[in-house]
Amino acid sequence: MARIKFEGVGKHYPNGFVALENLNLDIADKEFLVLLGPSGCGKSTTLNMIAGLEDVTEGNLFFDNEVMNTVPPHKRDVAMVFQSYALYPNKTVYENIAFGLRMRKHPADEVDRRVRDAARRLEIVPLLERRPDQLSGGQRQRVALGRAMVRQPSVFLMDEPLSNLDATLRISMRAEIKQLHQAMQTTFVYVTHDQAEALTLADRIVVMRSGVVQQIGKPDDIYERPRNMFVASFLGNPPINFMDGTLALENGRLAFKRGQTALTLPASVAERLAGQAGRAVVLGIRAEDVASYGGASDGDCLQGRTLAVLPVGSDQFLEIEIEGTPMFFRVGKEGQHKAGDNVTLKVNLNRLHLFDKQDSQSLIW
Amino acid sequence: MKITHLGRRALLFFSSLLFAIYVLAPIGWLVSSSFQSEAEITSVPPHWIPHQPTFENFATIFTAKDKVVTYENRKEGDTATGGFIPSTAKNLLPSMWNSLIVAVSVVILNLLVSVPAAYALAKIRFIGRDSSIYFMLTTRVIPDIALVVPFFLFVQQLGLLDSLLSLIITYLAITVPFSTFILTGYFESLPDDLDKAARVDGCSRLQTLLLVYLPLALPSLVAVVLFTFLTSWNEFLLALMFTQTLASQTMPIVVASFTSDFNISFSFINAAGVLAIVPPVVVAIMFERYIVSGLTAGAVKG
Repeated sequence: MARIKFEGVGKHYPNGFVALENLNLDIADKEFLVLLGPSGCGKSTTLNMIAGLEDVTEGNLFFDNEVMNTVPPHKRDVAMVFQSYALYPNKTVYENIAFGLRMRKHPADEVDRRVRDAARRLEIVPLLERRPDQLSGGQRQRVALGRAMVRQPSVFLMDEPLSNLDATLRISMRAEIKQLHQAMQTTFVYVTHDQAEALTLADRIVVMRSGVVQQIGKPDDIYERPRNMFVASFLGNPPINFMDGTLALENGRLAFKRGQTALTLPASVAERLAGQAGRAVVLGIRAEDVASYGGASDGDCLQGRTLAVLPVGSDQFLEIEIEGTPMFFRVGKEGQHKAGDNVTLKVNLNRLHLFDKQDSQSLIW
Repeated sequence: MKITHLGRRALLFFSSLLFAIYVLAPIGWLVSSSFQSEAEITSVPPHWIPHQPTFENFATIFTAKDKVVTYENRKEGDTATGGFIPSTAKNLLPSMWNSLIVAVSVVILNLLVSVPAAYALAKIRFIGRDSSIYFMLTTRVIPDIALVVPFFLFVQQLGLLDSLLSLIITYLAITVPFSTFILTGYFESLPDDLDKAARVDGCSRLQTLLLVYLPLALPSLVAVVLFTFLTSWNEFLLALMFTQTLASQTMPIVVASFTSDFNISFSFINAAGVLAIVPPVVVAIMFERYIVSGLTAGAVKG
């Protein structure tokens, strides 16, 4: 059982570098929390702080109601899986998995039982007597998982555990990790820079950038209602399209306008932004929120010239130049598109995003 | 293509052979001449293989304590036939024992200090970390001769003149910085994640060092052991300054004293030289099998 709470936690280095700034975060017991962000955003620092591998220089870190700031890692009930796996190269798989239990003075027969249980679950029984250098990447990954699993910790930490695996393996391991979480019923904190991992695994996602939390929310929230341009651009494949423009009144209704392009804003948004016509804004359109269209625009269409057509099997990506800005869209593969053609796309207006030009915060969410 | 390949291999072979001869010839001559009489040793041309091998020189070393050589009886043994022995011959075996005590103590104490120091320097971030590494290295830039007088004053003030302790302390001062430097480099090459994994697995810092890092660091530990042992075993200058009697004289001092006697017996000195080589060779052979690379292979994805 562990609820983890960050209260104004920061990590400041003596040379002035700030790795983490004023983090306030409450991780519920048994929650699967994903820390998502580009490298250097402070996500690994946050994870290491939970493990006790890095000092908390500001604020307090709690496990349940106990302040953990200065408790050394070996006195915390946490287990961790590393991107590099960090298996002990001179020990066999069995010894690697048993090491944590032995250090915590579990009786020998229990150690043996737990190691074999874990090995069976992870299907690595035949590998128990091998050394890490005789294993493939996927096998090492399983051993690393096993080493963390046998401990039955109250907090399970994972630092980009799948980054070193090839694409197919990554997807199947994702599913396994999700099952593992359900089976183990403990708190998981998972660090990744891979949005797909975050979206599939997380109960909640924390998006971070340069040591500052950008948004905390359920995967859907983060994807559908990004709080700022960074969050919007970090999730989505292909990434969201941005276009500078202004708010303007078109036929008495508030619309986004740039050159010939005008997109009428939905009533709820228009209401919130009433009286702000003329304001400089940035429009965000996700690649999948459009459809090929033959008709005339009624304040809901984008028109442009196709620069490239990229079929990806299930559907196709179009690179289209709209008002001088190249944009990527994803459309069904039925549509016949050729590079150089002019194309009209109907936009799902309810899914538009608008951001302030200056501070890049969302004007809608 | 094939010819140049063959040529390169031949060139490499002969270069290695030349180098091996250059290194091994003096040792070969030392060993060979230790089995020759004084007359044979000085013959021209020299005999690489003794014509009349004799164990006389070694026998003399092990029985030397029964004889007392004085100015009067110095010519009882004829130097030309190898019967002569130096007046300090009986000191050889006790001094070897002294050397062994010093070398082994220095090796052990050195490891006790340099291993934790190296781990801390390699894996713990603290203010002044980099500068301490460089500072330790600079101590090795100073030639020993410059340190002799300060060392002597220290040792004298501590009342440790003519004591093995004086040698142990000063040899540690010489060897610890270098050992720490070697080990720091090695520990740094071991992945940080291993350190983190061990600590999350329940190891304290010390346990991480002992249970995870040390087994992996065996090759560099062996290098450190050999370096420290040989440095202490061979050291001459400081030993010459601090030791006066057999209570603390080490082997190099005693062997050197053979050359300043009434007469010089090369065969005897060479036999002593062979004995001096034995312990380092034994140590080297003992640890040789631990010098294996690739122990860290597989620690992280390669």
